[in-house]
Amino acid sequence: MTDTQWPAWEVFHQPGTGEAYVHVGAVHAPDAEMALQMARDQFTRRQPCTGLWVVRADQIVTNTQAQSEPFFARSMDKSFREPQGFLSPLKRTEKAKRGE
Amino acid sequence: MASDALKELLLAMADDELLLGHRDGEWTGHAPIIEEDIAFSNLAQDEIGHALLWYQLRHNLGGEDPDHLAFLRGPEAFRCCHLVEQPKGDWAFTIVRQFLFDAAEQVRLESLVRSSYTPLAEAAGKVRPEESYHWMHLHSWVERLGDATAESHRRMTAALASAFPLAFGLFEPLAAEEQLVRDGVFAGNAALLAQWLDLVVPVLTQSGLQPPAPQPQSGYGGRRGQHTPALAQALADLQVVRRLIPQAAW
Repeated sequence: MTDTQWPAWEVFHQPGTGEAYVHVGAVHAPDAEMALQMARDQFTRRQPCTGLWVVRADQIVTNTQAQSEPFFARSMDKSFREPQGFLSPLKRTEKAKRGE
Repeated sequence: MASDALKELLLAMADDELLLGHRDGEWTGHAPIIEEDIAFSNLAQDEIGHALLWYQLRHNLGGEDPDHLAFLRGPEAFRCCHLVEQPKGDWAFTIVRQFLFDAAEQVRLESLVRSSYTPLAEAAGKVRPEESYHWMHLHSWVERLGDATAESHRRMTAALASAFPLAFGLFEPLAAEEQLVRDGVFAGNAALLAQWLDLVVPVLTQSGLQPPAPQPQSGYGGRRGQHTPALAQALADLQVVRRLIPQAAW
């Protein structure tokens, strides 16, 4: 049977100027221009938006299931890399505001 | 500035938006793909929002409030054009009708933002960004369906044959037409029609579609309260809940 479904496009949404694009979901669309319009209609109606990215899902490079275990494995203790001991600039500002 | 003339213009604009919004809303849950189901429901909400804005401006000049105008008038009191009354038809008819309407909105709003009646100019400025997106979206659909497959071309050609003649009703002159033009309220329907043709014909042609020959006065009657049976049928659905308990508070 022929698959008549349009290709899937992953959608990334920017909630404000200068903020990071966040993955919010996917749409089906025949081409890039329509994908952007579909993304606009699905994902900007309930929240403010200053930018959208759409990326064809089959163009995304990812690790395969078979690779995952060694690819992400952490056999040794690497907790010294985790940023728990210091604050991000945003959190520092928030703390300062609260007078802490 | 004569308020009766302004009220006539606002009622025609509001009734067009309300009926088209209602017809578009009939696709909710039934559109060919889920993405467009949501897109078209958005669009329907936009049109009904614009209807409310025009009804409210009219109400500010005196007379019934927006709820009364939308839900408690009979078909003979409506001033929408025949194009927007028609059943939703197939997807091609829906797309062609919306495309022709959105093009008319582009030229109408372009004129209204310069209106001598300031409240109307300001409201037109508010509506314009939404309508510009509608135009962009429908332009994309027409470009694609015009020559995508033999079936899409056949359906779009049939849709154009029925919708295009009715679209001239969007520009049916109003009784107070000359006065509105003289007072600088808007450019007048004759001027808007010419601009509309300049806008839609090239897009249709580039999409592989041949617009039928213009037929003067085709689709006329709506602005004088003469309608097709489709209006009464649409209003029966649109008004049923409000009419169920006329004295209810909402």
